Amino acid sequence: MLSPAMFPWILLTAAYLFTLGALGVLIRRNPLVVFMSIELMLNAVNLALVGYSSFLNSEEGQVFAFMVIVVAAAEVVVGLGLLTRVFSIGRELDVDDLDELKR
Amino acid sequence: MSQQSAALLAGLVLLLPLLGSALCGLLGPVLGRRFVNWAGTLSIAAAFAVALVIFIQVLGAATGHQSVTVSLWNWLDLGSGGNLNVSVDVTIDQLAVLMLLVITGVGLLIHVYSVGYMEHDPGVARFFSYMNFFIFSMVLLVLAANLVILIIGWAAVALSSYLLIGFWYERQSAVVAARKAMITQVIGDVALVIAAFLLFLNVTTVLPTCPPGAVCSLQALFAQHLYTLSLPQIFANASSLGVGSPLVTLVCILLAVGAFAKSAQFPLHTWLPDAMEGPTPVSALIHAATMVTAGVYLIARFHVLFEMSPIASGMVACVGMGTAVMAGFIALSQVDIKRVIAYSTMSQIGLMIFAVGIGAYAAGMYQFLLHAFFKALLFLAAGNVIHALHDEQDIREMGGLNSRMRVTAWSFLIGSLALAGFLFAGMFSKEDLLGFGLLNGPGTPALYIVGIAVNVLTGLYAFRLYGTAFTGQPRSDAARNAHEAGWVMLWPVVILAGLSAVAGWALQWPVTFGPHLINDFLNPVFSYFVGRPPATAPGTSLGLVGFGIGVGCSLVGIGVAVLIWVRHDWDLSRVLALPGVRLIPQLSRNKLYFDEIYDLLLVRPIRALARGLRRFGEPVMDGPIRGISAIATDFSGIFRALQSGLIRDYASYMVLFVVIFTVAVMLAAGVAK
Repeated sequence: MLSPAMFPWILLTAAYLFTLGALGVLIRRNPLVVFMSIELMLNAVNLALVGYSSFLNSEEGQVFAFMVIVVAAAEVVVGLGLLTRVFSIGRELDVDDLDELKR
Repeated sequence: MSQQSAALLAGLVLLLPLLGSALCGLLGPVLGRRFVNWAGTLSIAAAFAVALVIFIQVLGAATGHQSVTVSLWNWLDLGSGGNLNVSVDVTIDQLAVLMLLVITGVGLLIHVYSVGYMEHDPGVARFFSYMNFFIFSMVLLVLAANLVILIIGWAAVALSSYLLIGFWYERQSAVVAARKAMITQVIGDVALVIAAFLLFLNVTTVLPTCPPGAVCSLQALFAQHLYTLSLPQIFANASSLGVGSPLVTLVCILLAVGAFAKSAQFPLHTWLPDAMEGPTPVSALIHAATMVTAGVYLIARFHVLFEMSPIASGMVACVGMGTAVMAGFIALSQVDIKRVIAYSTMSQIGLMIFAVGIGAYAAGMYQFLLHAFFKALLFLAAGNVIHALHDEQDIREMGGLNSRMRVTAWSFLIGSLALAGFLFAGMFSKEDLLGFGLLNGPGTPALYIVGIAVNVLTGLYAFRLYGTAFTGQPRSDAARNAHEAGWVMLWPVVILAGLSAVAGWALQWPVTFGPHLINDFLNPVFSYFVGRPPATAPGTSLGLVGFGIGVGCSLVGIGVAVLIWVRHDWDLSRVLALPGVRLIPQLSRNKLYFDEIYDLLLVRPIRALARGLRRFGEPVMDGPIRGISAIATDFSGIFRALQSGLIRDYASYMVLFVVIFTVAVMLAAGVAK
């Protein structure tokens, strides 16, 4: 059981991690690193959910955290599948290079 | 004739040419020349057969029941208790039947002729499609018993005339001529439409919904007047316009302007000679036999109104006779074979217009009937000549054709005699209407004397044309090597020559100088007079004297022409070179400078105005519109730039807006607290 005084620090940590992930998505050009950044954002949210769950003394936040983990796993499956496909046709792995939808 | 059979027959005679037009135009290019020749001609033959059936029905109908008006269907239902409905009404009466017979009968002969004339033309499907469409529009025009339908037919014949004058559209002159014809026609169309509006607004039937003396609501008063577009109803209630009132005079003058534009009468006549740019069968069908006489038909159809306005009908008579003289004078010196015949058409139609202007409607329609025969004959024979001389139309390059093209030359001679008014068709109809001119019309007998002068002029130009083109020695290699046309082009000519030769005799036999069959046939149509009494016919003795004078004058004209242009006994060149006289042939050759005057007075100022308006219009009108489109382009440019296609950009927008949204929610929560 965490002490209530810990709660702001938990939220601040989650916000810090989320910002870090968001900046990673925006700044990095390697899709693998972008993926990792997205995972970082998801886990920051998980941390916030679990923190709230403990603070409010309810299980719902924890259930949500499990949902997020499952969805994140599914997303990684799809995303990595796409990436290996892109790599296998000989394209450079660079998110700025993958702009066919515009053209 | 019962209503059902009238509706059936009228529908058939309308639909057959329209069907032919559609078949030729849509399937012709696919199925080829033979199909087009058969489809285009058979449709008109079938229409002619139907017209004959209608004619027999009308002949057989009991007196007083020859005129039938039926509604084919209700086209536009504009509500307000059925007052404003436009229903497709047709009237079958003696006048319409006479027109129908000429349109489909002469039309059939000319269609057969066209098979030969257009033998080598690649656009034959288009040609027959237009020609069939013309027949349809003309039939619609003469059957119409509703102002709107009449105007549609009126405009559709102008359209087909435009299409056919400009048939050889790769020739600049043909396109310009077609445009000129169309613009002149539109002047007449506008006048006709204004006249229709005036009739619609002013000729109303008073319904007994509000008994006199009773106090009625405004709506009841309004509903009391039944506005109508139906011609029989308009004629039946025409007296509500007031005999001799300014209104009826205005309506009649507007109708007359429409008629003048269609019938190439002064001052709207300049399009007809230029219209000769079209193929010769077109000139024969549209610009001689049928469409240009639509003006005569219009005035005859609206005779109830013209009877109510002595001023307007007097003006019509004067313009008709004036055009007859003017066109005859111009025809004397033209060198294009078709233009000479075009001016003669104008002159002969002037006589018809004169006849309907003085109230001799049957005489005018009689001239229309016989003129259709001999003028179609002259054009088709001229077409044979042009064909044989490989598109040479200048009569100075002809000569000596009577030994090379015997059938055509004899037919042309019959046509010329009929035109000049000796022995054949024209003798009867022209003397008939001039006989009426002796006793009726404004300034009697001044116009009659002018008419006699027209007879002399007609004899002169008709035999100048015949003498120059057909007698003497050939003056070019083309004329020397000319050969007679094939039989498909000769048969219609021969039939028309036969008709021109016998029609007048047959119709007036056995009383040659008095009332004739056409008169008896048509008079029931023209028996309804509101204003003046019907035109007085000359008695037998006076008619005989008039006949003698008229034929004598024609003979003088023919004789002088033969002496000058056939036997070359008289040489005019010295007389015409005299200082005072020199002006006369110059005026005639330049068509009295009408084209130049119109160019100076109308075309140039309007063109200058258009140019000025364009200079003014480009910045003033186009500026704001361009500005609006520029604003839209620039504004959308901002959003277009956002769509970079880079994932990182889209992600940035998302983050940006999530941040903005979150901050906004937090602020709102803070304010709420």
